[in-house]
Amino acid sequence: MSWETIIGLETHVQLRTKSKMFCGCSTAFGAPPNTQVCPVCLGLPGALPAANGAAIGLAVRGALAFGCTVHPKSVFARKNYFYPDLPKGYQISQFDQPLATNGTLSFLSSERGVVNATIVRLHIEEDAGKSIHDRFAKATAVDLNRSGVPLIEIVGGPDLRSPAEARAYLQTLKQLLEYIGISDCDMEKGSLRVDANVSVRRAGETALSTRTEVKNINSFAFVEKALTVERDRQIALVESGGTVTQQTMLYDSKENSVRSQRSKEESHDYRYFPEPDLPPLVLTPEFIAEQQSELPELPGAKRDRFVASYGLSREHATVVAATRAVAEYFETVAKTSTEPQAAANWVMTEALADAKDHGDQLRVSTAALSQIIGLVKGGTLSNQAAKRVFAEVAAKGGDPRAIAESLGLVQVGDTTVIAGWVTEVLAAHPSEVERYKKGETKLLPFFVGQLMRASKGKADPKLAQRVLEEKLAP
Amino acid sequence: MSDAKAVADRLVKAKRLNALLTPPKDLRKSLNTQIAAARPTGVLYGMPVAVKDNICTLEFTTTCGSRILEGYRSPYDATAVAKLKAAGALIAGKTNCDEFAMGSSTEHSAYGRVLHPLDKTRVSGGSSGGSAALVAAGAVPAALGSETGGSVRQPAAFCGVVGIKPTYGRVSRYGLVAFGSSLDQIGVFGRSVHDAARVLSVISGRDPRDSTCEDRDPLRLPTVPESLQGFVIGLPKEYFPPELDPAVRRACDRAIRIMKELGAAVREVSLPHTPYAVPTYYVIAPAEASSNLARYDGVRYGPRFNGAADLRSLYRSTRGQGFGPEVRRRILLGTYVLSAGYYDAYYRRAQQMRALIAQDFRNVFDRGVDLLFTPTVPSPAFKAGEKLADPIAMYMSDIFTVTANLAGLPAISLPIGRAKGLPLGGQLIGQAFLEDEMIEAAYALERVVPATDEA
Amino acid sequence: MSVSRDEVLRIAQLAELDVDEEALPTLAEQMSRILDYAAQLSAVPANGTVKVFVPGPDAIRFRADAVTPSGLAFGPDEFAPAFKEGFFVVPKLGQFE
Repeated sequence: MSWETIIGLETHVQLRTKSKMFCGCSTAFGAPPNTQVCPVCLGLPGALPAANGAAIGLAVRGALAFGCTVHPKSVFARKNYFYPDLPKGYQISQFDQPLATNGTLSFLSSERGVVNATIVRLHIEEDAGKSIHDRFAKATAVDLNRSGVPLIEIVGGPDLRSPAEARAYLQTLKQLLEYIGISDCDMEKGSLRVDANVSVRRAGETALSTRTEVKNINSFAFVEKALTVERDRQIALVESGGTVTQQTMLYDSKENSVRSQRSKEESHDYRYFPEPDLPPLVLTPEFIAEQQSELPELPGAKRDRFVASYGLSREHATVVAATRAVAEYFETVAKTSTEPQAAANWVMTEALADAKDHGDQLRVSTAALSQIIGLVKGGTLSNQAAKRVFAEVAAKGGDPRAIAESLGLVQVGDTTVIAGWVTEVLAAHPSEVERYKKGETKLLPFFVGQLMRASKGKADPKLAQRVLEEKLAP
Repeated sequence: MSDAKAVADRLVKAKRLNALLTPPKDLRKSLNTQIAAARPTGVLYGMPVAVKDNICTLEFTTTCGSRILEGYRSPYDATAVAKLKAAGALIAGKTNCDEFAMGSSTEHSAYGRVLHPLDKTRVSGGSSGGSAALVAAGAVPAALGSETGGSVRQPAAFCGVVGIKPTYGRVSRYGLVAFGSSLDQIGVFGRSVHDAARVLSVISGRDPRDSTCEDRDPLRLPTVPESLQGFVIGLPKEYFPPELDPAVRRACDRAIRIMKELGAAVREVSLPHTPYAVPTYYVIAPAEASSNLARYDGVRYGPRFNGAADLRSLYRSTRGQGFGPEVRRRILLGTYVLSAGYYDAYYRRAQQMRALIAQDFRNVFDRGVDLLFTPTVPSPAFKAGEKLADPIAMYMSDIFTVTANLAGLPAISLPIGRAKGLPLGGQLIGQAFLEDEMIEAAYALERVVPATDEA
Repeated sequence: MSVSRDEVLRIAQLAELDVDEEALPTLAEQMSRILDYAAQLSAVPANGTVKVFVPGPDAIRFRADAVTPSGLAFGPDEFAPAFKEGFFVVPKLGQFE
């Protein structure tokens, strides 16, 4: 019995603006509770919304990046429900006339290769505040700092076929939105949130089965785990003769399990109607064009260009194009050093490793790294030595050449000096020389090693090898 | 410059009307502070203006005539209030009103009904009954009210004062506690057209905080005209049905005769969708209200009505006990018409009907009519309790006023006579953003119409 | 009667309103009458050809993305019914967590 899993993700992304969607309160993370509030986001009697133009611009950029159709006229709507962190008793969102529809997100599935997942719609809405259930006994603490922060909701179609694909989709989505700079997409900080729709069906069936919604997924790793747990639960249920009922499942990361979010009345009647406090959202062609022009080269295009222009493999190009910061870093180093392959290697290994331990900072400047690459190419530094110099520059800055010299790492590339060492080494190992001349050419590395010892590591090993070979030749 | 004591005394003298919700002690104290701070260069310097209790003021409380906001002090001023203060006016207390502006008699206030200044057995109208009564009693020269379906014009007509409703989007709604968002506007009561218009001028104009407020300069007041020469006044036949109260008809006839004598061209017109206006209104207003009133949940402000074991109990007891029966009824109605399965049949249909009603007006104005004249209300002030048994009976008193709210048009009610001593009101409905023409005509009419004569 | 007693109860739950058991029949009857009265609106053709009308500006105005003062003369600690350590406090949802 072979099962197919169908997954669609709904992602909520906080937009990077200074102020909230409908009021001038700050969106800064981490402020003391209820200090970034005003009559509007507190839902005080008489308050009214005033829309943030920058948020609208960022939302349009997001829609364009997915290749969506951006609708010149869309309408804000009220989604009515009661919850303590929803101050007005409704959320201003969009319903039947959203900002954008019909886009694509292409990602790489380890199972199926490139998948072009549908973006069904993208719309603008405001965030709710935060309810904290474990601070006070028998009570919930409510902080409205987050209430009113601008969000886009990105609804993906039921195009994903495994928990792993869900994770890959999400990572690609995050990369894209970070690339275009509209959001931090930080699941820890809550600027990227995901809910998943999951159903299963027997392989070969075409109709979609009843799906459940999985919520409370707080990291990329948990995306995969939660969906695996829910998929397995559904399969086990159906295999034992049961049926899947439409419900909301909450993921528990500690137990790695899901449980049903039972509510007394499953009333999802949001009674949507057009927001009477806001006229329609009308976007001029100029406005949309401006957002288009603000879009940078997108990750897919950049990766393809790296392959074409710099001869990188697709894998390497993907790694160095992973974020805009790294891509721009790589490209500058590639151009300055004129050694794109070397640049890619250095970025993928030393630069990213160092960044990982230092808050994602690329500590070595592009100029310095280019220099280092040049020094290796010119034989002044061995690869080993270059790595040491890199580490020094990363930690303390400075000029690579000067550092190499001060650390005594500069290789000796003077043929005369090397010839001297060669003579020394050959003189010290006559029996090996004898054996070499008799045909044991595998002894060459031995001589190189001896020469490196004699030169206290300073000899350029490639040059040393050449000179040795010449001297040992019959 | 007003004397705090004199202003307060006049208001306290009208205490028996139950029109003022502000305790006299608080009023006096605040007036002293305000007078000291008032801007001497302001065009309304020293003018005491009473404010309906559904408009947010830093002074006093803002209860909206409801228990659910009992004792609530707003931490900000409505834009209209801020503009009054900037013009040097004094906020002379908060006035009683139907709860959350839902009503036509102020009998639905949690704080008791407002008595008609001339006959205490009768209602002063609603929902802005308190503001109307205070101006009629001479306690203040002007007062702010609010309109959703006629809540300024109707009480103005009942009490014999001037009441103006501006074009939708002329005055900022920021700080006006929302009832029917696409219908609400702050309106003004005055002893005279001039008093009301002056105040309207001050509170009008752009406000970036209200996205439905048009980006326009404040209203410029017209001069008092010599005559009504050049005005074309339309009389919509649907507002003069055969069963119209005879006294109302006589008063209107007299006013129409005066308009002709003043040189206006008068012609009969038709607004064919008028019969659908009240049902349209009573779908749209409660629908929007049901959503606007969701925020009253006991979580962030206002009293809680229950020790509350859990959240749902908190919501339900606070709202169940904090809201009065009319408000509860409208919330239920509104929730129903928006709910799944009913949206198209009721709300969407009502919004479409609204378009037809608005089109009726456009058709008439496009054919050379400048203003429309109609009775404001079908009859003079009714007796307290008379219309409480049947909600629809109460709703029908809005029959001549709701169309202007639905179409977003400006309108003014002015006293045009008496029926056995009770005031009668006649209304002019103007074109969008042409309040000046409407006020101009009202000035002319006011000078000649014998407002206190029996019709 | 277009609105049943049970429907009124359901709507009351949606609107988070306590309704007295005894009041339900009257409420149902009143709502039915009002809705019957409102049903006159079916005079409008059912198709979507008639556009809706909403007064006010034709398009939303964009606000600049700047942090502005809250405009609050005093904070939530002064108007909240229950406020502790900077948070609004409400009873727990109960089994709905």
